[in-house]
Amino acid sequence: MMQSAMKTDWFGPFIVSVAAIIIVGLLKPSFLTPFNIQILLLAISVNALVAFAQMVIIGIGQMNLSVGAIGGLAAISFAGMMEVWGLPWPIASVLALMIGLLAGVLNGVLVALTGVSAFVITLATLSVFKGINLGITEAQPFYEIPETVKWIGNASVFGTVPLLFIPFAVTTVVLWYFLFRLPLGRTILAVGGNTHAAELSGISVPQAEIVAHAISGLLAALAGIMLVARLELGQPSIGDDWLILSFAAPVIGGAVLTGGRVSVAGTCFGVVIIAIITQVLVLFNIDPFLVQVVLGLLILWAVGVNRLREIRGQRQVAGGPA
Amino acid sequence: MTGFTFQARGVTKTFPGVVALDQVNLSLMPGSVHALLGENGAGKSTLIKIMTGVHRHDAGTMDIDGAPFSPHSTREAIAAGVGVVHQERNLIPQFSIAENIFLETLSADPFKPIDYPKLYRDAQEWLDLLEIDADPSAKVEDLTVAKMQLVEIAKALALNSRILMLDEPTASLTQHETERLFGIVGRLRADGVSLVFVSHKLEEVQEICDQVTVLRDGRNACESQPLAGLGRQDIVRLMIGRTEQIPTWDQRDCRDRDVALELRQVTTNAGHQDVSLNLHQGEVLGLYGLVGSGRTELAKAIIGADKIISGAVLVDGSERSISSVAEALHENRIGYVSEDRKSEGLILMHSVLENAGITVWRRLQNAIWAFTDRAVEKTVSPVIKKLEVRTPSLQQTTGNLSGGNQQKISVAKWLAANVKILIVDEPTVGVDIKTKAYVHELIRELADAGTSVLLITSDMPEMVTVADRILVMDEFQIRGEVINDRDYDRVSHEIMKHIHGASEVAAE
Amino acid sequence: MTNIEQKNAPSPSAMGAQPTARQMGVVQRFLLSNEFGLIVLIVLFTIVFASISPMFLSNFSLYAMGRTAAVNIMIGFSMMVVIITGGLNLGVGAIGVCGAMFSGWLMQAAGFHWVPACFGGLTLGAMLGTANGVMIVKSGLHSFIITLATMSVMFGAMIFITQAGSFREISPAFSALGRTKILNVLSPMLLTSVVIGILLWAAFKYTTIGREILAAGANPKAAELSGIRVDRMVTYAHALSGVLAVVAGLMLVSRTGAAIPSMAGQLGQDWLLPAFLGPVLGGNLLTGGRISVLGTFLGAFLVTMLTTGLLLMQVGAFWVQTYLGLLLLLAVLLDLARRSYLARNKLV
Repeated sequence: MMQSAMKTDWFGPFIVSVAAIIIVGLLKPSFLTPFNIQILLLAISVNALVAFAQMVIIGIGQMNLSVGAIGGLAAISFAGMMEVWGLPWPIASVLALMIGLLAGVLNGVLVALTGVSAFVITLATLSVFKGINLGITEAQPFYEIPETVKWIGNASVFGTVPLLFIPFAVTTVVLWYFLFRLPLGRTILAVGGNTHAAELSGISVPQAEIVAHAISGLLAALAGIMLVARLELGQPSIGDDWLILSFAAPVIGGAVLTGGRVSVAGTCFGVVIIAIITQVLVLFNIDPFLVQVVLGLLILWAVGVNRLREIRGQRQVAGGPA
Repeated sequence: MTGFTFQARGVTKTFPGVVALDQVNLSLMPGSVHALLGENGAGKSTLIKIMTGVHRHDAGTMDIDGAPFSPHSTREAIAAGVGVVHQERNLIPQFSIAENIFLETLSADPFKPIDYPKLYRDAQEWLDLLEIDADPSAKVEDLTVAKMQLVEIAKALALNSRILMLDEPTASLTQHETERLFGIVGRLRADGVSLVFVSHKLEEVQEICDQVTVLRDGRNACESQPLAGLGRQDIVRLMIGRTEQIPTWDQRDCRDRDVALELRQVTTNAGHQDVSLNLHQGEVLGLYGLVGSGRTELAKAIIGADKIISGAVLVDGSERSISSVAEALHENRIGYVSEDRKSEGLILMHSVLENAGITVWRRLQNAIWAFTDRAVEKTVSPVIKKLEVRTPSLQQTTGNLSGGNQQKISVAKWLAANVKILIVDEPTVGVDIKTKAYVHELIRELADAGTSVLLITSDMPEMVTVADRILVMDEFQIRGEVINDRDYDRVSHEIMKHIHGASEVAAE
Repeated sequence: MTNIEQKNAPSPSAMGAQPTARQMGVVQRFLLSNEFGLIVLIVLFTIVFASISPMFLSNFSLYAMGRTAAVNIMIGFSMMVVIITGGLNLGVGAIGVCGAMFSGWLMQAAGFHWVPACFGGLTLGAMLGTANGVMIVKSGLHSFIITLATMSVMFGAMIFITQAGSFREISPAFSALGRTKILNVLSPMLLTSVVIGILLWAAFKYTTIGREILAAGANPKAAELSGIRVDRMVTYAHALSGVLAVVAGLMLVSRTGAAIPSMAGQLGQDWLLPAFLGPVLGGNLLTGGRISVLGTFLGAFLVTMLTTGLLLMQVGAFWVQTYLGLLLLLAVLLDLARRSYLARNKLV
């Protein structure tokens, strides 16, 4: 049991997370105060959705540079619809999610129809979405956020668990079920694992691409909406700094960029590790500018480790008994 | 037209610039094994791809049990009962064995949750049937190549296809595993399934097949004939359009000349242990072995593309350490014509001039590392002329030329570089007969002019025609040496004896 | 990471096609080329913008446009030399800013003359590019993830060291370069990018290293087996990319008269779009192996012109980004259409 756990993708990041919590907790007891834990959980809840949005696309062997732009567009649409049109928040949030979904579908359709690399397509749509965002807001935030939304963003249940933890937890379970139990999700990973083989097995590759990008857009939009609730502000700059984070967490969680291999739990622990490091820099009064350096080094370290595991795996198969 | 499970009439398929299939017929009977044979590029894969819905045919008709059959997608072909074990790896490495076996069925219903315990139980049945010793929940990437091949077969069987095509299914199987597969083939035949068997191993074909269809240059060389009564020579004649005529060149013996290339107990990263050989000046040394026996890997170790762990490589009698192809070329004048010219031999998107001249750029560069294409042209065009490469101009994109002409260019670049030792790996795979004869003469000519040639081939007639001396390689070992006296039967018999003798020893 | 490449890059038919491509004259070849298309578009838009706003062809507007174009062209070149190896460099902006900041520091804090200071910045760019290249070839990972990580590291380190502060005491002689006008319209910066463009064109046509980089990008396996040290060529390309990025950064420093950490946005990401617009509009294959210096030059110029024109038409600065994104999409689609037209008529 222990051994099979050790072989999984999430075990490494899990151990690192636990070790980090213990060490930091011992060195700085204030790290484990309810208040601090609540901040940590809030950051994790939003960041995990950002990471999931990228993870689904990594799973199909592509990349989505427009995750942040979609999140930002959904965020300002959500806030704008409430402020300008006076829509009640449930309707506004559903519409904003639809915008994210549509943006994702657009990405997916363009990638599937043109066959051009997702990198270029999403770079183009990134600037389209971001431009629409700036064109609408003229870089000014929407301030009028309903009290209920503000409450949702900052309320907590069971003392220290933020309310926003719930959408994150639900998404995690649903996404895991989708990717690892439902055939539709499996086809996404099958295409990422071996596109040609998937095609020959009767799987529609364009369909898998469109579904993956649609889910990515939906998750990015959800993250954007949750940030509006948390910040109590419809910031146009929401999503601007998601790019590195969105790749770092899945990769730390064992995802391989060529596709077919992602881990929902691993990505979660990747997000936890990033959140802890960010917190530590604050707690120990280390220059916050160093966060970027640490994130970059984390990605390098993680892809290096994944690559080593891959090579070692291949050697074992090649050298193993027939 | 009853009695046939499947019939193709006049199937034609054209790709830009080439007719892949021209009026091809094929009739499959229930409860029989049908051999589909032909040389590389004869159209076998194209026909299979049309039958499985990967490609669409341009003309002709196909029917299954008399009903018209014209699949637009693989899914349609699967639904019509056509299954195939593909030649190339066709599994999702990160998925479990069970999921791979049932991938077609699972993906047909995207929202039906997968019942893994049941899936594993069902998969176990197939594994038991094929006697595959593996856990159905194990990931495919953790399996050996042979087991992957067996899983692939299980995957095709699980579709309960009425027409099952096996494209080179035994390529990576051991003798024992092959026999097990043939047992299953026999059982499926008894159940009334129509099987199509594609293989280069004619012994296997004669062992299990009932009928045979041979394709040659995209046409039927014979159509659905009973195999009984056809001898090996008859089949070969159908495949290549003539009997295995071996031009009898005079015997050459270069063993008393100086050694141009010597390997002393070379152990490589790829798996060779203590391999030694001598290549004499002006000699054509054959290296015979089946696919996967370690010939190409040895060549790549010699030219520095693969690592040599221990042992010595001597060029002209002095020890060299060659750690890159650049060193092999510029410091030791060794060249390597790859067996896979499309992915390793040529840069198809670049021009003829760039491909043929790539090896001489460094020689022609001046003090500021610059060279002119005119200078390259001066060096290259005599070689292109000599090899009779048919190209409108040296600026032509290499990918637009025919296979034979491409092959000539992949040889030309080494001639332009004036190498003294040339390693030639399967030089005539997929080229037409005329070019093939030409390549043989060219090798002979080079050797006569003093170039030492290491010829790697699994084409026995080619080996007997061209080589002076033959080394037999099996399982990354040199099993024996045969002096070629151009007596085809004796030489081929001795070569096979070295290989089979070895596997008998290994089996004990 | 094969998916980063264009999946429908023209793959030669499996059967080895006969020489069917029609031979074209030089003129016909040029008329069907990407470069010609760009020239037509540039002329077309010049007419459109000039007829809408006479300001567009004023000396001042042309001068400003040339100056901005110079920067965009250098950014495009920086990405182009990596694209031809079949890779990409997300760190163009980060390296460009790092090099420019280092030059700024050399001028302000270390008191260097601007020539050695620029040289120092360019050297740093080469070093950072080399670091990228070495990590890519040693790890065997795709350049996307490596440069994504290093851009974060490099930019973060730069911000940490400078504490997000600017260097404003730039040598006057250097910042004068950014304001000098030749014949009232021409910026020396545009001239510089023309000269660098010609040098690049010559390097990739006539030098061994240039040609070997192209061969390595077109088919690394075949190149390696033909005696090319592919790893070394990929590293050279990234080093060159670093140098060119710093040239772009220095141009910005000279223009604004200050080295500002945010001149390429957060992590240098603001340069990402122009970096790809130039080469992609210019018809450089993302799968590598083919280069069009002129195309990249014209592509970057077209982008600058459109931006200027749109701003003159008072579209609103915030919407410009949307149009540029649509332009990139359009370019990709047009390129697909052009190539399928050529393939259908067997003109390739």
